[in-house]
Amino acid sequence: MSEAHEILEVSGLSVDYLLPQGPGADVRAVDDVSFTVDRGEFLGIVGESGCGKSTLLFAVAQLLAPPAELTAGTVKFKGTNLVGLTDRQLSAIRWCDLSVVMQSAMNALNPVKSIGAQFKDALQAHGKPSKEEIAARSAAVMQMVGIDPVHLKSYPHQLSGGMRQRAMIAMAMLFTPDLIIMDEPTSALDVVAQRALMVQIKELQQTYGFAVIFVTHDMSLISHFSDRLMVMYAGQIDELGATRTIFGRPLHPYTQGLLEAFPSIHGPRVPLKGIPGSPPDLAMIPAGCRFHPRCPHAVERCTVTAPDLYPVDGDLVRCLRRQDGSLSSREEGSLSR
Amino acid sequence: MSELLRAERLTRYFKIGGLLSRRTLHAVDDVSFSIGEHEIVALAGESGSGKSTVARVLARVYQPTSGQVYFEGKPLSAIRSRRDGLRYASLVPMVFQDPFASINPVFRVQHGVLRILKLHRPELSAKQRLDEAARVFGVVGLGADMLQRFPYELSGGQRQRVGFAQALAMRPKLILADEPVSMLDVSIRIGLLNLMAKLRDEEGVSILYITHDIASARYVADRLIVMYAGQIAESGPIEDVLTTAKHPYTQLLLSAVPDPMAPLSQVTDRGEPPKVIDPTPGCRFRWRCPLAIEQCSAVTPALAEVQPNHEVACHVAQTGAEVRAFAS
Repeated sequence: MSEAHEILEVSGLSVDYLLPQGPGADVRAVDDVSFTVDRGEFLGIVGESGCGKSTLLFAVAQLLAPPAELTAGTVKFKGTNLVGLTDRQLSAIRWCDLSVVMQSAMNALNPVKSIGAQFKDALQAHGKPSKEEIAARSAAVMQMVGIDPVHLKSYPHQLSGGMRQRAMIAMAMLFTPDLIIMDEPTSALDVVAQRALMVQIKELQQTYGFAVIFVTHDMSLISHFSDRLMVMYAGQIDELGATRTIFGRPLHPYTQGLLEAFPSIHGPRVPLKGIPGSPPDLAMIPAGCRFHPRCPHAVERCTVTAPDLYPVDGDLVRCLRRQDGSLSSREEGSLSR
Repeated sequence: MSELLRAERLTRYFKIGGLLSRRTLHAVDDVSFSIGEHEIVALAGESGSGKSTVARVLARVYQPTSGQVYFEGKPLSAIRSRRDGLRYASLVPMVFQDPFASINPVFRVQHGVLRILKLHRPELSAKQRLDEAARVFGVVGLGADMLQRFPYELSGGQRQRVGFAQALAMRPKLILADEPVSMLDVSIRIGLLNLMAKLRDEEGVSILYITHDIASARYVADRLIVMYAGQIAESGPIEDVLTTAKHPYTQLLLSAVPDPMAPLSQVTDRGEPPKVIDPTPGCRFRWRCPLAIEQCSAVTPALAEVQPNHEVACHVAQTGAEVRAFAS
């Protein structure tokens, strides 16, 4: 993958939540995260609540608000480092080149303004379009997401949950951006609406060629849609690789556990164990590997040495026993389906 | 398996709009089902299909507009005194969806359990109440030291276990669990589902498991009831319903379940839920159904048995024709 194809390059990104008790008490929510997104790529980010995935998105979009602070690293978007830009410089990039779809459309849309008025606001903030241009562009993006443009006159409460999320995505596409960041856009929807929205996002992405960073806690949801998958645990990347490879052969014990935690509607009914324990409090991160208290394969050195992200079979995996190959396939037998 | 609870032609309407409005929302419309002893019945459907309203009618939060619920053979409308009401509430407790909102944050977690014991089992002494609280915490997999914690010290999964412990302290026959795992992280969910199976197998409790997640329903439940727009679309033993789904809506639901192990199925439906305000006769799924025939817009289909214990409310399925509306 050559440089020219990379649209986003995040390197060494760390975000701290600064606490009034002083620097010693700060909570590091995102710890030294590096990844790239290619033009037109669909990157899925999965993790449990509190693993730092939303904080990471906010850091990429430069939307962090105190007490969160970006303490290290760079976010290069189309060659420009976004870190340290002024609000004025950022607002030229935001929405035009990089837009964000928030988790809850009910809260993200203004309840006292019609959808069309909100589109108009966004369009006027980035130029001086004429009335006709506004109407034409608004109708065009509504059609792209499959909503009848008559709903430009509707208020958010008049639309169903699925339509509100579609309207949010339409709004993000007003300026045909190169990258759309989505933070669990489907989590409030039922399975049928969720599937329909995922298919739509994928179609739009293929038609218009923008890149997507899609954050979710539901790994099975993006299994058929994302090109690459990034699994986060306790503020760090645990595994990063091609989606199909990870689903076919997950390397990190946490990824394996996540995949095992989903009951299926196909095949025999097998008892599942899930992952014992619960995700760590980021203020009290275990020493060594952050996953070792919940890991079925942890050995003594896992409790002492903090693993790096190691390249294993083309993927990146944060596991000591994968790096030296000491995790035997026999031990794995208990885990893999 | 003997019958524990039976709902007969249960209906609940809500008046909507202003004072003079005559519009009614048919949240639950003519729903009949039963729950046996020691069984987990899953009630599935999209948001707005009326599944939570059913639970609330069963919990006596709402009075049914018409229809009757029989618990151990006796109608709920016969409950008049506070004592009978309390007794029923202790036999049929609820566990709520949001473990962060359902526990009082200013008291230690033992507060809720001890209050329940004091109210519903007044025969216990203070010492016995503490012992019993420790016992039910043990059953749901929490240590006795947890009793002294405050809710903010607990994770989501632990809080939901507290919810089940509180229900269990009443010595219930049937727990109404309204989306008990949907707010939890995936790695925690399985533990709660396993706990529900354990309560059925070891404590002999029946559970009405309300969910929109068919895969988790299959994991724990014995029977499945699929609701659509306030009515039952299909019900039966869960494996039967999943392998030979007869109702087009059930098929649509199954085809949309994300499954990394299966190839991606093609679903064209948009997932727009129906409005059930002042409905006219006819099948409520007909606008989304590719198989709809003339009869569907004239006559509301009734639930009828198509296989032993497997009932479906679909005109097409009831003719015996093979229904393949949405491939899964």
